[in-house]
Amino acid sequence: MKREINRRDLFKLGIASAAVLAAGKAIGSSALAGTVDFVEGGRDFSPKTGAERKMIPSACWSCVTRDSMIGFVEDGRLVKLEGQPNSIRGKGKICAKGAAGINQLYDPDRILYPMKRAGKRGEGKWKRISWDEALTDLAGRLKKLRDEGHPEKFMFHYGRMKASSDKIVKGTFLSAYGTKTIGNHTSICEGAKWVGQELTWGKHYDNWDFDNTKMVVNFGSNCLEAHTNSIPVSQRLISAIVDRGVKLYTFDVRISNTAAKSTEWVPVKPGTDRAVVLAMCKVIMDAGLYDKDFFKFIKATKNRKASTDEKAAVLKAHLDKYSPEWAEKISGVPAAKIKSIALELAKTKPACVISYRGAVAHHHGADTERAIQMLAAITGNIDNPGGRCRAVGAKWKYPKGPKAPKTAGLKILDGFKGDIAYPNHHANHQVLKMIKDGKAGRPEIYMWYCYTPVYSHGEIQENIDILKDENLIPFTVNVNAYYDESAALADLILPNPSYLEWWDWEDMASPTQTPEYYIRQPFVKPLGESRDFKDVVCELADRMGFPLGFNSAEEFVKMSCEMTPDVKKAGGFEYMKKHGVWHDPNAKPKYYMYKKEVKTEDLKKDGVIFDEATGVYWNWKEAHAESEAEAKEKGYTKTKNAYKGYVGQEIDGKVYAGFKPDKVNKSGYFELYSELLEMKNLPAIPSFTPVPAYEKMGPDDLILTSYKVAVHIHSRSANCKWLTEISHDNPAKINTMTAKRLGIKSRDKIKIKSEIGEIITTADVTEGVVPGVVSISHHLGHWEYGRYASGKKAPFAGDNDPDLKLKTWSTHGVHPNWIMANKPDPISGQWAMLDNVVKVTKV
Amino acid sequence: MHEQLSISRRQVLKGAGAAALTGAATLMPTGKAIAVRGEAPRWAFIVDLRRCIGCRACTVACKAEFDVPLGAFRAAVYEEVVGTFPDSEKIFLPRLCNHCEGNKDDKVPPCVKGCPEYPKDRREFVTDDGKKIRYRGGATFKRPDGLILFDNSLCTGCGKCIEACPYGARNFDKLLISGKDSTKNGITKCTFCEHRIAKGVTPSCINICPGRARFFGDLNDPASEVSKLNKQFGLTENPNETTLLPGENTTPMCFYIDPQGALKKMVVAKKKFEKNDAILDVI
Repeated sequence: MKREINRRDLFKLGIASAAVLAAGKAIGSSALAGTVDFVEGGRDFSPKTGAERKMIPSACWSCVTRDSMIGFVEDGRLVKLEGQPNSIRGKGKICAKGAAGINQLYDPDRILYPMKRAGKRGEGKWKRISWDEALTDLAGRLKKLRDEGHPEKFMFHYGRMKASSDKIVKGTFLSAYGTKTIGNHTSICEGAKWVGQELTWGKHYDNWDFDNTKMVVNFGSNCLEAHTNSIPVSQRLISAIVDRGVKLYTFDVRISNTAAKSTEWVPVKPGTDRAVVLAMCKVIMDAGLYDKDFFKFIKATKNRKASTDEKAAVLKAHLDKYSPEWAEKISGVPAAKIKSIALELAKTKPACVISYRGAVAHHHGADTERAIQMLAAITGNIDNPGGRCRAVGAKWKYPKGPKAPKTAGLKILDGFKGDIAYPNHHANHQVLKMIKDGKAGRPEIYMWYCYTPVYSHGEIQENIDILKDENLIPFTVNVNAYYDESAALADLILPNPSYLEWWDWEDMASPTQTPEYYIRQPFVKPLGESRDFKDVVCELADRMGFPLGFNSAEEFVKMSCEMTPDVKKAGGFEYMKKHGVWHDPNAKPKYYMYKKEVKTEDLKKDGVIFDEATGVYWNWKEAHAESEAEAKEKGYTKTKNAYKGYVGQEIDGKVYAGFKPDKVNKSGYFELYSELLEMKNLPAIPSFTPVPAYEKMGPDDLILTSYKVAVHIHSRSANCKWLTEISHDNPAKINTMTAKRLGIKSRDKIKIKSEIGEIITTADVTEGVVPGVVSISHHLGHWEYGRYASGKKAPFAGDNDPDLKLKTWSTHGVHPNWIMANKPDPISGQWAMLDNVVKVTKV
Repeated sequence: MHEQLSISRRQVLKGAGAAALTGAATLMPTGKAIAVRGEAPRWAFIVDLRRCIGCRACTVACKAEFDVPLGAFRAAVYEEVVGTFPDSEKIFLPRLCNHCEGNKDDKVPPCVKGCPEYPKDRREFVTDDGKKIRYRGGATFKRPDGLILFDNSLCTGCGKCIEACPYGARNFDKLLISGKDSTKNGITKCTFCEHRIAKGVTPSCINICPGRARFFGDLNDPASEVSKLNKQFGLTENPNETTLLPGENTTPMCFYIDPQGALKKMVVAKKKFEKNDAILDVI
């Protein structure tokens, strides 16, 4: 639907943000005097006694946004969490998930002791053991593999591990151990988006400059509820809409909260966003409204030296078949709507094109992101104020650890050979399948951290069967604070504290394009016998004879504060402990980084050569090529890891920083024509390819889709009572017309069947979902994870929470992952989670 | 400490007391806004429905602020999908205690009127320049600055205040024993974060709101944000458009900026909470 925002609605409120931090600062006259100057946060008082509480600055870790945050402690207990008023990213705000961090800390079902399984794997029988016993066992097993020259047989699989946590565990410990069998989670999130970016502008992360934009077009992002930089951008987006009348068009299969606040929610059939985007590109190119200046930096043809007119002609010819009328047939979006939004986008300067999982978690999702990059590029909205910008975050310096005697990795991270062209971020949803298959080898020790191999991606039953099989994986270790479905299949559990008990330095992207440095520090000492895994790896390394050079995460953070010039100048570790956050008030926002010219002396450095075919200057030594001769012979594109030596891009006689490549040997152009894709027989210029699963749909089949809600975090918040109280069921949402056709009413029990299996769940009939779709939220359906999540008490859990008796809900949801196939996007390896076709019947 | 007050209980119930306490506003010509001298503030809360993104940060912040037990909410957000696809829309309605001024006849809010343990004592409210305003207290009561508060030490856990509130803003607190009857629970309700505003810090739900959709301030102060918004959007002038259940004649002090007419479109906005039904935030 469309909503007009008329001039009367526009009112720039000019809110006085009298942000005052920390105790010691006088407030002024009492509020009861009616003064306007209420302080926004920064101080906290007990509702019972009025006593002021102690403030500690830290950082959230509920989601990857990792907002700066402050917390208040009373009598040794964390009682409140709020945003950090002095953060340029969060500006004093956190979300419901962040505020509920207290539930993560005081979860009555938390794992507080090292545990060893007592019965068969998965039987649920446990024995408490000491840390010494746990680490003696674990270090012994790890050392044996390493000494035998098989470090690769130790697999470490993390879901979330960033900043200093990543540098300590992966960069130092695992690197010194020597294993490269390290799995992550990215393919179940937005791997396609990153690969799409790596094939166009280089290193991923796009910051959306809402503070300066005049229009936003959104494909599949729900950033007002869940986003990788959620609070920093959501507040800026709603402010842009209300204070400046910025229009937001959201293409989505359902009314997410972002669609709800949009100028217009444009319903679109799942997996067809690319058709709409290509048609919009055609409209803009045909109307001649493309940004000719930016075309200088675009590669649109095999011959890089084409003129702007030649490039435009090639794109026009390529886009010719993608008419709005054609796109309407595929996507359901009216042609007139496609045209009008495209023209408005081209004429509104600057504008921001945003996208996320809804658009890219599909077959060829990476090409959808490339098409969206194309739309932003041809309208000149790349790396400009108000546009889609290369992200800027803090750059910390930190200690480096020892080198491993041997480094090796099992080739089980990137799916089956030949399936994926550029698995730059792996295909972690295929790891268990690869282990089962065995041809690329199997780990002897499989350890996972902030990750749940059973539950976080599709085909849950197969995941359980593989993880349970001791013949496939001899030893399983989970580092966790919570007894989840995967912990239940571990042989050894090491109790990690919640993030509210950790040390870290942090570096997430800043929406202002100027970096912010911040740290995480404990509000309380780790509960029970839990120990920060970052400290544990220090001890493991000691036990195995390769000390890391620091003894704890706190020490690592302290050293990093002293080693990072800007932070040291601000006051180092003591400053960061007191204030939590620092930014340079004189820093200039980074835009148009690609236009910077490379200094002549940098082109003359030892090892730098020029590649005629691509126009790239690169350093064959830094790329670790065999020799200059071989590097020249193979050329930039075909030399392994050549991108690591990238120096600059030659364009029309000048050498620019350009769009520096990452992960793949892309040139420094903004590549709309990708030789790398052409080499793999994939469309060189963004193209439409139908989702294979949809092509086989019968007239009664529906498309199964999934989404996130504002109050939950992936699979790891259902234990938070304040969040689960709000959202404890995930019924299957179906459009009224579709439901009527199937004879289904709200609250009916329905069976949803895919090629993988079936689930029984409850229907919720709504006008808020596109017809032909069944939409189920992602987070719920636990059968472990504690009493709030599933009704099941964790082993050794206490009853230290009076709310346990007041739990009002007995539904815990049904997870759609049971029936979603683990198919990878052939371009990026992205889990095509939104491509599943199902039959829905009333039970 | 409490001086004898000449206003009788009957007069209070008829509104005479309340009128004498609040009085009329006079303008203060100053850059930094301070209270009208000798007067209590007239607190008001504004929710800007254009800015609410339905994120529930307010709901959880309030839970954390008071450690509200499961099953009860002092603040909650409702959401509804209205209209027919493809022209359907989703609307959010944050709600909390309205700290009503009471009906136009006796100016006593329904919950205070319904409480058998009111009035029970005499209390004193001190303005910024030291003037003392006396008022009646009880298990629940309305303070001269407008806050409707509760005093568990006087509460018998009868639940009549919960039944009396048409907004479902009050609920039993299952982890609180009522002061006067150990077999009953006390209640929980929004206090406009009285303990925070007393120290010059914004209410918790306002502090956390990423949409910056919530405002709190003194309508007696023309320079306050709420006064400016009131003027801009005609909030106090048009309670039929800007408050919940205007027909209940409660005179809410919680106003909604609602240019899209969401309050008219939502079923739940028109719901009158009866018996022990109270607000819930469940998606």
